[in-house]
Amino acid sequence: MKVKEGMTVKVTSLSPEMNAREALDLLLKMEISGLPVVDSNNKLIGMFTEKGVLRTLLPGYIEKVGTFTYHENPKMIKQKVAALATMTVKEIMREDVITVNEETALSEVARIMLVQKVRRLPVLNNNKELVGIIARVDVLKALFAEQN
Amino acid sequence: MRTNLSKLILLFAIATVIGVWSRVIGMSPHQALAVAIFSVSLLGTLFFWDFRISFVFLGISVLLASKTIDLEHLVAFSSLEIILFLVGMMVIVGLLKDAGFFAWIVTLILRIRNMTAKKFVFVLAVISALLACAVDEVTSIIFMVAAILEICDYFEADPIPYIIISVLATNIGSAGTVLGNPIGILIATKSGLTFEDFIIKAFPLAMISLVVMIFIVIAFYKKSLEKLDQQIKKLGSNEILIDLISVPPDKNTKAALYIFGITIAFIALSHRLDVMWKLENNTVLLIVPLVAAGLIMIWKHNKAQEFIEKDVEWGTLLFFLLLFAQTGTLKYTGATDFLAQKITGITGHNPYFITTFVLWVSAIGSSILDNVVLVAAFIPVIQEFQKFGIALQPLWWALLFGGCFGGNITLVGSTANIVALGLLQKERKIKISFFTWFWIGLSVGTATTLVIWIALLFLPFYK
Repeated sequence: MKVKEGMTVKVTSLSPEMNAREALDLLLKMEISGLPVVDSNNKLIGMFTEKGVLRTLLPGYIEKVGTFTYHENPKMIKQKVAALATMTVKEIMREDVITVNEETALSEVARIMLVQKVRRLPVLNNNKELVGIIARVDVLKALFAEQN
Repeated sequence: MRTNLSKLILLFAIATVIGVWSRVIGMSPHQALAVAIFSVSLLGTLFFWDFRISFVFLGISVLLASKTIDLEHLVAFSSLEIILFLVGMMVIVGLLKDAGFFAWIVTLILRIRNMTAKKFVFVLAVISALLACAVDEVTSIIFMVAAILEICDYFEADPIPYIIISVLATNIGSAGTVLGNPIGILIATKSGLTFEDFIIKAFPLAMISLVVMIFIVIAFYKKSLEKLDQQIKKLGSNEILIDLISVPPDKNTKAALYIFGITIAFIALSHRLDVMWKLENNTVLLIVPLVAAGLIMIWKHNKAQEFIEKDVEWGTLLFFLLLFAQTGTLKYTGATDFLAQKITGITGHNPYFITTFVLWVSAIGSSILDNVVLVAAFIPVIQEFQKFGIALQPLWWALLFGGCFGGNITLVGSTANIVALGLLQKERKIKISFFTWFWIGLSVGTATTLVIWIALLFLPFYK
């Protein structure tokens, strides 16, 4: 069974110039954790995710400082939340995105998801255009559907 | 891409010129090749920091293939004892980080009562220096930068002066003990100087230099400090900062602190234990971090893998290992003996001139080059001076202080500088220009090196 048989075809994508705050609102409205970012030729150029927004808001050194607990919101986080309205999707999106081809086997998708610890993968055609997205739940559904 | 190619061509051109020049002044082919290969490693750190390991890998391969050194000596010169010491210390630092020790230090700075700009500078400088003494300069600067950015955000102040002050103090403090900088342990193991020697002789000089630095930075950043004082008056006390973060004291934190304290105590007593147990100098010093790391990994067996994989900087250690083997090759081929003779040809056998030469050359050299590379190259040369009946101790101290303090002169002078400025750029999109750093760096670097120069030349204690 191939990816194209299990993927979601109707994909909402974002433009790199879109306002980051509006993009985040869209994520929250759709109740999903990330959306692909495509250029004017529908070529995938990144992923805009909740995690990426959090990474932008919090200091980059928190992982290096070790164990501690925040009791207040630092001033800078509040400023960064406000500054989100002036930022674009391009400034926050992750550029190194793992993708799969629509002809990739579902087992291979499952393997990538486990090994690379990703929840969903953008699906590209042979022209590298975004044609869909496949999530863990889609892989499981398709694998069990095949057995039945 | 084109810039990188140009840099690569320049690197090999300089190394070739050095190699040819070495032959011209009378070195043997193997000596000249060892010098040229070492120059490639040295320039590799300057031009291609991220790929420095590639240059030492290739360099060692050429040295082996050309029979400039054999495998047995290469292993002997790679100073595995220093690598293992650093692995042990990195695991201990990993535990401290995991236990929240460093975040606790950050909270201490955030909780300064009745904050004033001068008080902030003083606390910043002292904690930066002492933290660098106790752990290492790169680890300590990350936490200092975190604290500075939080405080400057709160008071809406420019963080640049305080980041620079903290880095300057970190580099000065890193000369105070064997633990502060990799060159400390490198010099200790090669010279036979003990942790006690460092505490008695290096630490007081580092603290005097720190005081000199504090006076200079207060004068240099007078306007910035006045602005911070105004902001403190305007925004009131740092109430939010006091409660901003906490590290809940639990038994793990306490246990981690006990382990660290006991480790430091054993390191401090290492020379006496060496004597008591009739061991070679610095044996206990090298064993203690390994014992502590071993016990930590048994205690925290669930995280043992993480400590080894994430907290130990294997890339850096591998670079050091092969770099030490390359400097060993300089000694093995007799290139360092040759250089020592040339240096004494310039300075004579006068210990004052040689001390002056080692101190200022290592300080100026460290302002541009990685101090570990420079010190590693200098060590076998200094060892050769013994043949001329020159007392080595002042030369070791000159090398230590020159290597650490020279790093303050330019913004690329030490790893701590690069790490701190990298964080500032990433977190606040602020890029410090070369000259923003240079004038204060040069002032502090020159003044503190002068302090050391006077002490080494005129105090019999350092003879």
